[in-house]
Amino acid sequence: MNDKLDRQTLQKHLAQLPLTHPERRAAVVPLMQSLQAERGHLDDRGVEEVAQVTGLSTTEVEELATFYSLIYRHPAGRHVLRVCDSLCCSLQGADRLLQAAEQYSGVSLGKISPDGAFSILPSICLGLCDQAPAALLDGEAVGPLNEAALQVLLRRLQEVD
Amino acid sequence: MGTMRIDGHDIPFQENDNILKAALAANIEIPYFCYHAALGSLGACRLCAVEVASVDPTQSPRVVMSCLEFARDGLNVSVSAAAARQVRQRVIEFLMINHPHDCPVCDEGGECHLQEMTVACGPPYRRYRGRKRTFTNQYLGPLVHHEMNRCITCYRCTRFYQDYALGDDLGSMRLRNEVYFGRFQDGPLTSPFAGNLVEICPTGVFTDAVFRQHFARVWDLETAPSICPHCSVGCNTLPGARDGTLRRMRNRFHPELNRWFICDRGRYGHQYSEHIDRPLTPRVRDEKVSYREALAAAAEQIKAARDKTSGLGSTREDLESNAMLQTLLNKLSGRFATFSDPQIETATVAAVAALQSSGGAPSLAEIEQADAALVVGDLTAHAPMMDLALRQAYRAGAKLAILHSGPSLLARFAATTLTVPPQEISAHLLRLHEQATAAPTAPTAPAPSNKHEKELADIAVYLTAAQRPVLIGVSETMAVPEIAAMVQLATALGSRAKLAYALPGANTYGTILLTPTTSTTAMLEAIESGQIQTLIVIGNDPLGDARLGTRWRAARRHLSTLIVLDCVATATAEAADILLPVAAWAERGGTFVNYEGRAQGFAPVFQRTEPLPNTVEVLADLAHCLELALPDAAAVLSNLFPGYQAPLPGTLGSALSAPPLTMQTGTTIGPASSAHPGHWQVALASWYGDDPLASYAPALMELAPAAAALIHPTAAFKEGIEDKKQVRLRGPAGTVVLPVQLNNDVAAGTIALSRVTLTQLGVGHGDLLELEHIS
Repeated sequence: MNDKLDRQTLQKHLAQLPLTHPERRAAVVPLMQSLQAERGHLDDRGVEEVAQVTGLSTTEVEELATFYSLIYRHPAGRHVLRVCDSLCCSLQGADRLLQAAEQYSGVSLGKISPDGAFSILPSICLGLCDQAPAALLDGEAVGPLNEAALQVLLRRLQEVD
Repeated sequence: MGTMRIDGHDIPFQENDNILKAALAANIEIPYFCYHAALGSLGACRLCAVEVASVDPTQSPRVVMSCLEFARDGLNVSVSAAAARQVRQRVIEFLMINHPHDCPVCDEGGECHLQEMTVACGPPYRRYRGRKRTFTNQYLGPLVHHEMNRCITCYRCTRFYQDYALGDDLGSMRLRNEVYFGRFQDGPLTSPFAGNLVEICPTGVFTDAVFRQHFARVWDLETAPSICPHCSVGCNTLPGARDGTLRRMRNRFHPELNRWFICDRGRYGHQYSEHIDRPLTPRVRDEKVSYREALAAAAEQIKAARDKTSGLGSTREDLESNAMLQTLLNKLSGRFATFSDPQIETATVAAVAALQSSGGAPSLAEIEQADAALVVGDLTAHAPMMDLALRQAYRAGAKLAILHSGPSLLARFAATTLTVPPQEISAHLLRLHEQATAAPTAPTAPAPSNKHEKELADIAVYLTAAQRPVLIGVSETMAVPEIAAMVQLATALGSRAKLAYALPGANTYGTILLTPTTSTTAMLEAIESGQIQTLIVIGNDPLGDARLGTRWRAARRHLSTLIVLDCVATATAEAADILLPVAAWAERGGTFVNYEGRAQGFAPVFQRTEPLPNTVEVLADLAHCLELALPDAAAVLSNLFPGYQAPLPGTLGSALSAPPLTMQTGTTIGPASSAHPGHWQVALASWYGDDPLASYAPALMELAPAAAALIHPTAAFKEGIEDKKQVRLRGPAGTVVLPVQLNNDVAAGTIALSRVTLTQLGVGHGDLLELEHIS
């Protein structure tokens, strides 16, 4: 059933692509994003599907998939919090924030919290230095954060679903 | 053109040279990892740092990457400057942070670029005490072993594999400190050139998986310049042996032929010489005997048969052996032939005659410079390195046209692909000639189906517009009319067009010059009529021939004695009355003449623990037993080829001047016809590991495609044949049941089959075959 779902998603996206992507191979990133949106991450079968549709080899798709840090090749939680650990945020306590997040969730960075609600990842500079220490929650900017604010945020994520 | 100064020496450089390239050409050592003459500069490793003095004396000198900086007139460069030395030392220290200290157990040890550079310019001690980054390795197939922890991210592997050899199943994954070179998932690398990763990698990430099975330290290996015996290109190689066994094969640089690379058939085919079934002890009938006893038995039979003795040479035997056999047969007033299939013999005569009259075939370096090419047949399977040369032409923008009947890896890069049944190739070539000359000539040619008119017109346009067009045919799957049609086309394109043929053996060109016209047919008929009693076969396998094997096996019953000299256990060697095992290529010296007519010498690399004589020695000893005075090979060859001088191993080789051959268009004999020839045409579905010697290399053979009947989906649908269903194929020699595999690269009305299947059926490329459904 999942197979069909993927195929339909891909076909749907592909149908919209000719205008913006006359070169089929150029559609590889939007296709990976659409599959990830559908399934939470891009699994091996997803890579194969994208390869088939774009005419790239699976290795070529994998090269791109693993290059982009916003494409997840491993299962992720329902929500993904990316905490910036680059210069400004680090000076403002991002490292402590990441430690606190690990402590709160009980799993190491990059793993899924036991209830499946979230994954926390360190991130390179998000360009949110004015809100340091900053994070990206499902693509939305949040900050400045402190340990208390982080805990509130994570608890809310657990309660939403 | 200009001059720059490096550490006080004036160094000339060519236009567009970078500092590193110019320095290396002048024998000045600047350390580097990622630069490669074939792959160019990347600037990934940061090792080739040099100091460049500023033109303005008030400004201080700066450190640059010599591979990324163009050489300029008057540039003042210092390799030895303290600042540059320090950068290089730090780069090495940085690369060694994650590199395992496993040199004592690493296969690369002793020829590792990283090891050498670390000793040459790195820090003597390691300061880093933290954890090293580790990776999981992948299974990359039976030929290449993967050890990712050793990687220094120079990107040479993917630059070779993807950019140079145009493979798409090895790539660079992830980023930053986790960059990983591998495949999407575990599995054998699919490129016919994957083995070059072993040499291109400056450290031990990719090592030779076959060498690893029977490893020796590289400084313990015996080496000598050799020539690859696995196809007609004649790539230069450097075999490595130890303790009387051949362990590995490496590329040896030849500026006009293989340059830095060899194909996987050439690299891994050498395992035939260590095959468990290789004949090592002489045999008379079923009894193992000494060499002297076998010789005496052979001499006795030849004496008994006297003028009823004949000899069959071989395209994979060296020039010396074939010439010696011919001389011996002259003394015995016997016949001499060199092919087991007369059709291939006449096609080869035609191809070599065409090469002689066209002013010589292009070298691989010249093929790379082509701006348009027409390939007839599956070039990758018959001369993989010609394919690699054409891939370079393609990368530079050349238009490729492929005219073929079965699967061809090169078709992927073709601007135009014409997939037609074997028997229609000739008509298409003639039509192409008409298009190219825009004046209809041969009205005898049946017009090909209209659907290909446009493609033919396209090919004609870019071949005629090209400055350096190249036409390459695979002579084994071509008949004389097709070869003649290619010559006609080449003539029409004018002197700028180059013509080449991939021939069916390492020494085919040399062998055919020694072969009397239509000698195979004459010999086979003479055996069948009882005029020949004793047959001496050197390095040939008539009984295992695809098309005529059945007929040879029947003819064999008319022989009282079959004497075979070979280094592999062929069907003919198995059936021999007297078997004299001979030295394999790396165990002897000799000469091969490649597809260009370039004679190249190869040197003996090592001796087996129990040395075997080479073919020439056996023939000389045999002559001695027969009390015949036989001149030595050098004298024989200088008699045959005026002005001949044996080319020295390790040199570039020399053109073999020989009287011109004439193209024979006479009739040839075919296989025993079956009652119902059927309406399917047979195409040979070969692959890059397919060669009589390499088929005894176990690791390479793991990659051989599974036996199947390859049929085009449309043709299969018309006949009601389904994918993966078993069908029965009926040929003159027998029937074979195979699963159907639908394949878009097979022509309509054609079944593409492996060489083994062709032999079982007793048919050759272009013959007819019957297909039966199995309900």
